[in-house]
Amino acid sequence: MMTTLAQLESMTSLTLAHYLIVSAALFIIGLVGFLTRRNMIVMFLCTELMFQAAAIAMIAFGRFHFDISGQVFVIFILTVAAAEAALALALVVFLYHLRDTLDAERWSELKE
Amino acid sequence: MAPTILYIACVLGGLGLYLLVRGGGPERRGTGPIKALGALLGLAALAWLVVGASDALAGEEGGRPEAFFVIFSLIAVAAAVRLITHTKPVYSALYFVLVVLASAGLFLLLEAEFMAFALVIVYAGAILITYLFVLMLAQQSPDPRKPDEQAEYDMNPREPASGAIVGFILLALLSRMIFEGSGELEAPPVEEARVAAWRELARMPQRVEEYIAADVDGEFELVWDGERPRLEISADGSSAAAYYRVAEGDAPRRFPLPAAAMPENVQRVGLGLILRFPVSLELAGVILLMAMFGAVVLARRAMELGEDAKREAAQMRRLGHHDEPGEPAGGAGAS
Repeated sequence: MMTTLAQLESMTSLTLAHYLIVSAALFIIGLVGFLTRRNMIVMFLCTELMFQAAAIAMIAFGRFHFDISGQVFVIFILTVAAAEAALALALVVFLYHLRDTLDAERWSELKE
Repeated sequence: MAPTILYIACVLGGLGLYLLVRGGGPERRGTGPIKALGALLGLAALAWLVVGASDALAGEEGGRPEAFFVIFSLIAVAAAVRLITHTKPVYSALYFVLVVLASAGLFLLLEAEFMAFALVIVYAGAILITYLFVLMLAQQSPDPRKPDEQAEYDMNPREPASGAIVGFILLALLSRMIFEGSGELEAPPVEEARVAAWRELARMPQRVEEYIAADVDGEFELVWDGERPRLEISADGSSAAAYYRVAEGDAPRRFPLPAAAMPENVQRVGLGLILRFPVSLELAGVILLMAMFGAVVLARRAMELGEDAKREAAQMRRLGHHDEPGEPAGGAGAS
């Protein structure tokens, strides 16, 4: 099935720009979400969305330039995303224990 | 595509997203129509962008993007919008799983099969489970008597208007740049991709030898071109052949390789990872280890404080201190 998908794809007029547009849209949605949401966990979820967009762009570039390092780079993106998730979630739990809320606005003043 | 169309699409998308994000708290009645309007505007902008892009990029042939691409990208973008607009964080996490699945579909279209499945396993399987665990730990209803009530900070977003404006100005600039820049890059023909895959085989001489040894009895040796075995690849990439000789000084014999000898995606990714980025691979391992240590240290400190407080509340002072009743228990452990 995969080869048929690939063959179908190579016969149509899909260009690099299509994939880049989808990637840019996902990235911007993640950015808007990061700026507007106040729940800390959802904010980190939005950063994962931005990682996802970057991965799509990487793989699209690699496919259209015959370079396997696009996919290799996505492996590193996955690594960084996993490390970031572990650390960020540990921090969120820590902050939650300090103030009993997930509201990011409660941390807007660093003094106190 | 005319830039005005692009800008109009971005404005529509931004407006739709703003209306969706603004949502409504319990005090804001009648937000249903507003949300529906926002969704409609967003969908219109997206459809406009996709159709306009395909018209502009396909040129005179008037081809349409392939159905799979449109389906996967629409699912991805729609789920992403739901992710940032849903007021319940658990549903946001589940919508993120949908985004991951849709982009795994896009990866399959891009012939990155290994990364598609790794993405589903690592993201949807591991990272999202961690998120859900933390959500269950930390997410609480503000009033314990009403478990369905949602927290105020989930209902009311922070500055939705400026967020949407900034985001979609950026999107307009990005998509304009994409259309003017690398947009004309066509999908490479499948023959070229096959030839590129066969070329990778030249870096795996042992694999070539195994295929020849399966058919040739006795000793033989490969014919080399410099450091790589000599390969003959047909122009359309449908077949390739290696050369070997049985005895020193013989004429090289041609050996047509079976189609299964073409390196698959996993093998090419692994080869690229080991041959071209060995140091980065080690660094990735170090990063994961450090993240694990960091998470353990952060989580443990919170647990220890909680345990101390609990012990003091329960007056378990005798634990490990027999002779000095005046000293608080656990005081030595906390630092």
